[in-house]
Amino acid sequence: MACRLWARQGSASPVMQSLADVIVALEEWLRSTPITLVALWIQKTPVSAFVDEHAWVEPSIQSLHILTLSMLFGSVLMINLRILGRAGRSRTMVQTVQRFMPVVWWSLLVMVISGLGLILGDVVRNFTSPIFWGKMILVALAALLSLGFQSSVLRDPAFWESPGARRAVARAAAVVATLLWCAIMVAGRFIAFAPT
Amino acid sequence: MDLQGIGRALEATPVGDFVASSLWTFPIVETVHVIALVTVIGTIAVVDLRLLGWGSRPCAVTEIAGDALPWTWGAFALAAITGTLMFVSKAHIYVQVPWFWLKMAAMLLAGINMAVFHFFTWRSVPRWDIGREVPVAGKVAAGLSLLFWVLVVCFGRKIGFVLGVYE
Repeated sequence: MACRLWARQGSASPVMQSLADVIVALEEWLRSTPITLVALWIQKTPVSAFVDEHAWVEPSIQSLHILTLSMLFGSVLMINLRILGRAGRSRTMVQTVQRFMPVVWWSLLVMVISGLGLILGDVVRNFTSPIFWGKMILVALAALLSLGFQSSVLRDPAFWESPGARRAVARAAAVVATLLWCAIMVAGRFIAFAPT
Repeated sequence: MDLQGIGRALEATPVGDFVASSLWTFPIVETVHVIALVTVIGTIAVVDLRLLGWGSRPCAVTEIAGDALPWTWGAFALAAITGTLMFVSKAHIYVQVPWFWLKMAAMLLAGINMAVFHFFTWRSVPRWDIGREVPVAGKVAAGLSLLFWVLVVCFGRKIGFVLGVYE
């Protein structure tokens, strides 16, 4: 599936094909860097071999990864719906943040740990995948935005409750945050479709 | 006609043929399926955890349910559509995979659990909507709901790993 997807020229739309070409070029560059040697070294460690040799490990870690993602995304959605005025109207922004942000942080921690387990399943494939690094950048961005959002709400709750123009900024931030997590999920799924 | 025969007939339909033969369709459909199912389980968990008393306690149960469940249903419709698209593209393979049937069984149990909760326990919700302990039946339904959806994800993920064996 993976190889076929990118190798079959002409049958995809021109946009998709040019995007695939960029990703393939980036991947070739990544392969030429010392990152490949680092990946090969990690792949030979006993932990990596354990994930590789036991068939039940990878689907189990993936299920854990998806279930924690559900907890995270559910919380992100409830917070952002509150900002958009479509949920939790009886609660203040501070109460909403106090209810859901701890779930976001704990889920993120479990996802980083289970994510490390998933990387070990095929270190070279992940470390030489531009989509993988793109996803890591997006995750770092989402974590920074969440941190900024949380401190902003606790410092200046009025901004997030206020009407008018300031509220438009808050609303836009809520939509962007939700789309950012969707983009992270798209990238996560497409690591598996990248060339090997 | 046996199950595999029905499966092959489904694959021959224009929809099945389109998903199977188009380069990007299956990966895109699968990605939408993941985003949809994550939304289903994430929003259901918000309600289930409230029923279990592990979050959102100061909020009325009806308010939490009203906020979260429309998203659950919308996302479920999307997951069902994308799931069906994936199924019809390889139907004769899916019907041979035990994990596929286990996933369907877990979803059926989740549906029965939800129906029982909705038609019996939910009728008394005005009495325990806010500031009161949720009745045991409600807590059991919430626990079972979380359990069944965890199983749906675990079985679902296993399908992807074993599909190749049956091709």
